[in-house]
Amino acid sequence: MIDPTMRQTTTGDGAGVGPEAIAGFLRRLRGGVEDGLDPLSAAERAATGLPASLRRSVERMAARMRGDYHEDEWGFDEEFAEAAFPMFELLYDGWWRVVATGVENVPAHGRAMLVANHAGSLFPFDASMMTLAIMREHPLPRWPRFMVLNWAFVLPFLSAFMRRVGGVPANPDNATSLLEADQVVMVFPEGVKGTGKPFSERYRLQRFGRGGFVEVALRTGSPIVPVAVVGSEEIYPKIAESRALARLVGAPFVPITPTFPILGPLGLVPLPSKWRIEFCEPIELSGHPPEAADDRALVFEISELVRDRIQRKLYENLVKRGSAFL
Amino acid sequence: MAPGKRIVITGISGHWATALAQRLERDPTVEFLAGIDTEPPAADLERTEFIEADIRSPVLSRLLPSTAADTIVHCGLLWYPAPGKPDRALHDINVIGALQLLTACERTPTLSALVVRGSAAIYGCEGAAPLFFTEEMARRYALKTRFQRDVGELENYFDNFARRHTEVTCCMLRYQPEIGPNLDAPLVRYLSLPVVPTQLGFDPRLQFIHETDATGALEAAVRNPVRGAVNVAPSGSISLSRILRLARKPAAPIPHPMFGPALAQVGRRLGVGGAYGDGVRLLRYGRGVDNARLRGEVGFEPEFDAAGAVRDFAAKQHGRRLVRVPSPGDVADLVGSRSSG
Repeated sequence: MIDPTMRQTTTGDGAGVGPEAIAGFLRRLRGGVEDGLDPLSAAERAATGLPASLRRSVERMAARMRGDYHEDEWGFDEEFAEAAFPMFELLYDGWWRVVATGVENVPAHGRAMLVANHAGSLFPFDASMMTLAIMREHPLPRWPRFMVLNWAFVLPFLSAFMRRVGGVPANPDNATSLLEADQVVMVFPEGVKGTGKPFSERYRLQRFGRGGFVEVALRTGSPIVPVAVVGSEEIYPKIAESRALARLVGAPFVPITPTFPILGPLGLVPLPSKWRIEFCEPIELSGHPPEAADDRALVFEISELVRDRIQRKLYENLVKRGSAFL
Repeated sequence: MAPGKRIVITGISGHWATALAQRLERDPTVEFLAGIDTEPPAADLERTEFIEADIRSPVLSRLLPSTAADTIVHCGLLWYPAPGKPDRALHDINVIGALQLLTACERTPTLSALVVRGSAAIYGCEGAAPLFFTEEMARRYALKTRFQRDVGELENYFDNFARRHTEVTCCMLRYQPEIGPNLDAPLVRYLSLPVVPTQLGFDPRLQFIHETDATGALEAAVRNPVRGAVNVAPSGSISLSRILRLARKPAAPIPHPMFGPALAQVGRRLGVGGAYGDGVRLLRYGRGVDNARLRGEVGFEPEFDAAGAVRDFAAKQHGRRLVRVPSPGDVADLVGSRSSG
């Protein structure tokens, strides 16, 4: 004899969880609550009868609701980052077809500073794509941290999101404290000058600030890994900017792209350019003492060296990429 | 035999001064202990002499030298406007009181150490701030609230005093907000609300120092005063959303421009009169400070880290539930009857 509910379970519900299982779960939940457990512990206990994957997610959700998850001292929440990962994977594989090379040049342990060009006027995705390249293609993946334009940290939602996925406000103190804790830190010395440059100047590196990143690297004895990111310039081509709007919202600049703001929210969809990310060989700075950070000439020399290397790699990868979109 | 310590504590009716006095009373090397305030301490103190005086009055300059104190602990700072009292009173006590106290200190030749229970508000609360302020990073940002400006002035006066009187070890403790199951403070009351208002889209990183650590750090600084500023904070940091989860409190997100007025509405419940600008900024941008100097130089190791302090608070707090959670049994019966029917 075939139980009708069983058939319903196997055919109707792909996950294999029928109403029976849910009812059983809720009955056990009631038992738990009547035994004097709090709802979350009761849910965990009741989940023992569920299929393994569902049980795990119930347990994980209960732990999260209870605040039992790890959050490091800078506010990075690994579980949250993992949850956001698939969304970015979609962009990485399907939308931008990222080709990453030289990922093994990122040290597998110890501190390191990744220095990259910065682009993508409306919302720069270069840090997230570099993170994915490391997490997916490095033999020993680890979550890198990244420096974010300070303005993002006064905005609702964006500030909380950035912090949870490993972003910190861009300043030398934060970079130093992360590197001293042996983290991989991504910095974008071009800053707003990089993201805010017009489309006609794409892939032409802007000034590298005042070389502050070199000072931090020297002081903490971190190797610098130059990174060239190709493709990020075409996602939101900036053809003009609106000063008035920027002043109104307090933003450093508000770009006008072929789709934004004409198409409204649809204009926020980045264009599907083809990406290449190349991680270059690390530049070792441990030969210099920490005091070398005060040597202006040396700082500028290293800063220029890094800049030249990224610029060269940008041109190389532009040639390798060929067409920007196809 | 070396003579015992002679310690005078200001603001003795306050929680922290009383807690400190209770600890110091147990120490036989403390020969003389006195507390100054306008009201007597709420708790029973055994051998602490109560000196009734207003620290804003010049009479302090006559009282203090007569105690022959070698250590003065200034706990008289007010952190938030009390209900029904104007902001002016706060400023008077925090700034004019400090000035009178320092004048009195100048006339006390026996003085060797001055410890102030100050505030980390000097660093401000900024979105793009360093994640952990060290002591030399004070005043990177403009002081925005009245309390911040008071703390700024207070620190100025103490810096001047420290420069002119090198024989006195001046120690400025910069406290992060405290937390504890027995504590009555606006932010503790805030976390004890049945539904906690938060700012929509913001999730600040916070540090609450556990009340036993807060008193412990004060005691450690009195025993081993170091020159200059010392941050008093737990290690690590914790986000507000996780605090609320640990405390099992539902959050009520409010768009941030409306949060200040909303907080003022519940101000009476928080024990704060008027606008509580410091709280609004702290609960929007958060603040983290580095406690390396406290642990290394003062030699005080906090027992609780940022998450631990909140866990302890949550474990000992008897929460109230506003909304009755529907019994899962009812739902089970409903689903069960449907599936079999």
